[in-house]
Amino acid sequence: MNTFRLVILTPDKILFDDQAIQVTARTTEGDVGILAAHIRYVAMLQTSALTVKLPDSTYKQAAIAGGVLKVSDEKVSIMVTAAEWADEIDPNWAERSRQDAMAKIEAFQNEPDRLERANLKLQRALNRLRISGHGIK
Amino acid sequence: MANLKDIKRRMHSVESTMQITKAMELVASSKLRKAKERAENVKPFFEATYKLMAEIASEDRYFDSQYVHKRTDQSAVLLIVIAGDRGLAGGFNANVFRLAQARIDEVRNSGGNVVVMPIGQKAVDYFANKEIKILKAYDHVAEHMNIYLAMDMADLIIRTYQRHASLQSVELIFTNYVSPILQVAQKMEVIPLEELSGTDSRRCAVEYEPSPEAVFEKLVPRYVASLLYGAVVESFASEQASRRTAMENATDNATEMIDQLSLLYNRARQGAITQEITEIVGGASAQQ
Repeated sequence: MNTFRLVILTPDKILFDDQAIQVTARTTEGDVGILAAHIRYVAMLQTSALTVKLPDSTYKQAAIAGGVLKVSDEKVSIMVTAAEWADEIDPNWAERSRQDAMAKIEAFQNEPDRLERANLKLQRALNRLRISGHGIK
Repeated sequence: MANLKDIKRRMHSVESTMQITKAMELVASSKLRKAKERAENVKPFFEATYKLMAEIASEDRYFDSQYVHKRTDQSAVLLIVIAGDRGLAGGFNANVFRLAQARIDEVRNSGGNVVVMPIGQKAVDYFANKEIKILKAYDHVAEHMNIYLAMDMADLIIRTYQRHASLQSVELIFTNYVSPILQVAQKMEVIPLEELSGTDSRRCAVEYEPSPEAVFEKLVPRYVASLLYGAVVESFASEQASRRTAMENATDNATEMIDQLSLLYNRARQGAITQEITEIVGGASAQQ
């Protein structure tokens, strides 16, 4: 299989910068799978799971918070606000932030801006819980 | 001849000051190391986001966005000022405020209005007793800055820019970390995004989903957030570096002072002994 260079960037680290066979992500328009030699492409990503197929044909999954996916000639870049590999997620922390988000949603019913932010926070927490395998099935 | 007791007391006071400056120096250098790392880490993300926006702006001939328009007939400015939470950092805070004040005076002299968003306790204090409108004040955020807070700030800034057509620009004053001994207070333009279309404009087919404009509009808040995050983290690193240098100098000065005082002390002690001997000898010879 042909490989391509995949770079996953967040504001506090470079999560991944290596060869990959395939990357699957959920954009605002739907799921996409990117293989080597894909045409130039840019899309916005949702808070979701990102799956990377490595050159040894194993799969690695990461929880990502919203961002952007860009395919250029030389590489595929993914810029997201947060990203963690499934096995690096602390389920206790994710659970705490889920409860925190629920409490905020209760409290901010009359403040649309903060309610929206609390909803996004809840989405991120649920996404992390699901991907770490501790979510509500 | 100086009083022995007085000199001793002064030496003690300088020594305890030195202990404090020495401790502050150590704390600042360990915080600096962490802050520098964070400032380095955000760079690839920021650069990639910026490059993508520049590409969208330059590739599409019909590209147009509210964020690149210059509102030339307007004069109000939103100024984001990032300073420290604490003092005792040499000229760090003063340099930021000098630059901010110069910009405020400049805008006001040309008939414009300034709204400030201070970040850092010192900035909040500085603008609190000035006749100036505050959009929102943030204190004690720099040390534990995270991207979500930066996104909240970016949301607020962008909403303000959209709601107030009288805003000419959003500008940022932060401290650029050049090296451990050099940090420079700087002003930069946040919105409108200038120079974006300056990059090479080879036209090539890129698929944008849902559309170049939609992607661009969604990228702007992310760009502003990563810019703010980077500026806060970098200013924090500058603050620590500046404090470390200031405390290093203070420790050096204290060491020098202690040297001088102990010289003075020894001289005074010797003087006192000599005098005592002279008195004894004088007394003894008077009895002969």
